[in-house]
Amino acid sequence: MEIVLPLLIGLLIGGGVYLLLARALIRMIVGVSMITYGVNLSILMAGNGFATNSPPLLDLPGPYNDPLPMALILTAIVIGFGTTALLLVVAIKAFQVTNTDHVQELAEAPDPVLPPIGGFADPEQPSVSPEAGEPGDMTDDDEAGERSRELDPGNIDWSRE
Amino acid sequence: MNLLTFVVLLPLIGGALLLLIPKQRGRFLVAALSSAATLAISIVIAREVMAKGAVAAQMAGWEAPFGITLIADGLSALMLVLSGVMGLLTVFFVDATLHAGPRRGYGSLLSRARELFGAQALFQFLFAGVNLSFVTGDVFNLYVAFELMLIASYGLLLLGGELPQLREGLKYVVINLVSSALFVAGAGLVYGLFGTLNMADIAMRAQLHGPDARITAVVMLLALVFATKTALFPFGFWLPNSYPVPMSAASAFFAAMLTKVGAYTLIRLFTLMFPEEVMIQQILLGLAGVTVLVAALGAVARHRWRHITSFINVASIAVVVAGVFSGTLAGRTASVYYLINSVLVIFALFLIAALAERLSGQNTLKQGHLALYPWMGVGYFIVMIAVAGLPPTSGFIGKFAVASALLGASGWVSAAAATAVILSGIVLVYAGVQVWVGYFWGDPGKLRRLELPRPMVLITTVAVGLVALLPLISGPVFELAGQIAQQLDGNEAYIQAVFPDGNPTLGGE
Repeated sequence: MEIVLPLLIGLLIGGGVYLLLARALIRMIVGVSMITYGVNLSILMAGNGFATNSPPLLDLPGPYNDPLPMALILTAIVIGFGTTALLLVVAIKAFQVTNTDHVQELAEAPDPVLPPIGGFADPEQPSVSPEAGEPGDMTDDDEAGERSRELDPGNIDWSRE
Repeated sequence: MNLLTFVVLLPLIGGALLLLIPKQRGRFLVAALSSAATLAISIVIAREVMAKGAVAAQMAGWEAPFGITLIADGLSALMLVLSGVMGLLTVFFVDATLHAGPRRGYGSLLSRARELFGAQALFQFLFAGVNLSFVTGDVFNLYVAFELMLIASYGLLLLGGELPQLREGLKYVVINLVSSALFVAGAGLVYGLFGTLNMADIAMRAQLHGPDARITAVVMLLALVFATKTALFPFGFWLPNSYPVPMSAASAFFAAMLTKVGAYTLIRLFTLMFPEEVMIQQILLGLAGVTVLVAALGAVARHRWRHITSFINVASIAVVVAGVFSGTLAGRTASVYYLINSVLVIFALFLIAALAERLSGQNTLKQGHLALYPWMGVGYFIVMIAVAGLPPTSGFIGKFAVASALLGASGWVSAAAATAVILSGIVLVYAGVQVWVGYFWGDPGKLRRLELPRPMVLITTVAVGLVALLPLISGPVFELAGQIAQQLDGNEAYIQAVFPDGNPTLGGE
């Protein structure tokens, strides 16, 4: 029975690494989650594994199971859950902006257009193409509106090399 | 009530409050207040540490090693104060970037959007994570601190959702998730080996246990994780492209403090917990030497402001790591001094980059700014010679001390690392000269002088002023660094503070 857990850990981490090297973003995310689960199981193993002792409650007779690895795993699961959710959101946003979830294409998506010599482009909004609007035109009042229109994927220059 | 909890709690509460405040002015006031209070508490802790050697707090009264211990010794206190100062400046700088840039209504739009969507709150959470990782005395708690810090940094890195941010952000998040997974695995294995997660307890047990291949394997795993966070050579590929993408204040704080957290944990791992693992320390020393050179060459190869400064940051942190792993007291002293220098210099360099980007975009290859903005040129000159390590700056003092300590240590690896540190100085001078020629020199031509937002200039001046001040007070600072390094040797004060009555779990063994 003790051999099952190490095998499972190996399978999860091996599969996770394989998926991490895949080309699709969603596979990468699944890979990261699998690695996290493998690691959680390995913490359990590092404690006392499949020991069938009593739960650590004071009115039960010992020997007790070690509760600390479980507490650690619980913390790690919560954190892993949050970060996986974040990663999914990033992946969706990246898909919306570039229309691809292929890692290579994403990596080759063009860098922001460098401002022309002598122009006054804003470094804080690099991916807006210079044609998107003349900088001086905006009034302070409708900045937010202007900004959201500028951020619209349709207005961004996607020309690739 | 112990003050150590407050350096974590205050920014956390401040960050939560910030999410509720609708007005920008109010958010700024709360953020500034929270950061100022955190800095004040850090200074009080530092004074206490200087008097006592180390202060510890046992959470919920659970005696070590059963509960979670918070502890500050000299190094922690120094890092707390540095992070407090940088945090306060960052909060002010975020506010400063909201002012309309050289052209009305253009320079600040994205900054305002980012501020509106919680940049200040994320910064407070980031400070909480950074401070917790400096004061924690527990390996798993360190992991939690890292996650707190990293989740806030993911938010800051992605805030704005520009294409480069998404692209680099994905890499950053995935790399950090994988290295965090390895960190948890390492923490679990440490628990499996020693039955404890308290750092001081681990240190005592590892010393009693003696050399063991299993310990070496676990330490190797943890060293890999921290080397990734510190961006040492083969693991640092993610950093130089990802730090330039967020808002400029975030870039500055990331570079100034986040990489230093990695260096800090490496120092703790090898001076406190596993000082006997000499082989891994030699490997890390070699990697640090390679990193210094590669990063300096990387800075030469880039031609955008923050890409150049990110590479300079990697080169700078690797010098700190090299000093620590020289294995001598002189090396550690030099390293602590260079750490202070590195934080101040890198922060100032990123702020100058922010000003330059406001004026001309990301590109440095646009000449003639010296004639229009002479004082920016002066600031850049001061910071850049400090980066390259030329006299009379603190960079020279620090690099000289690190190199001489490395040459004094035994083994060809330290000699090679010393050579790399010295050579990198020359390469960095070349990188600096490239920026100077590309951006500052030359005929302004059609460019005309623009007014930068005053607050941005003011805060950058303060940051550069700190860099310029450091060499003038180098005597006392170096003495302080010596005391801190002395503490790291053996860590009696640290262990004494965690276990005032001796380690209760070691009695029978």
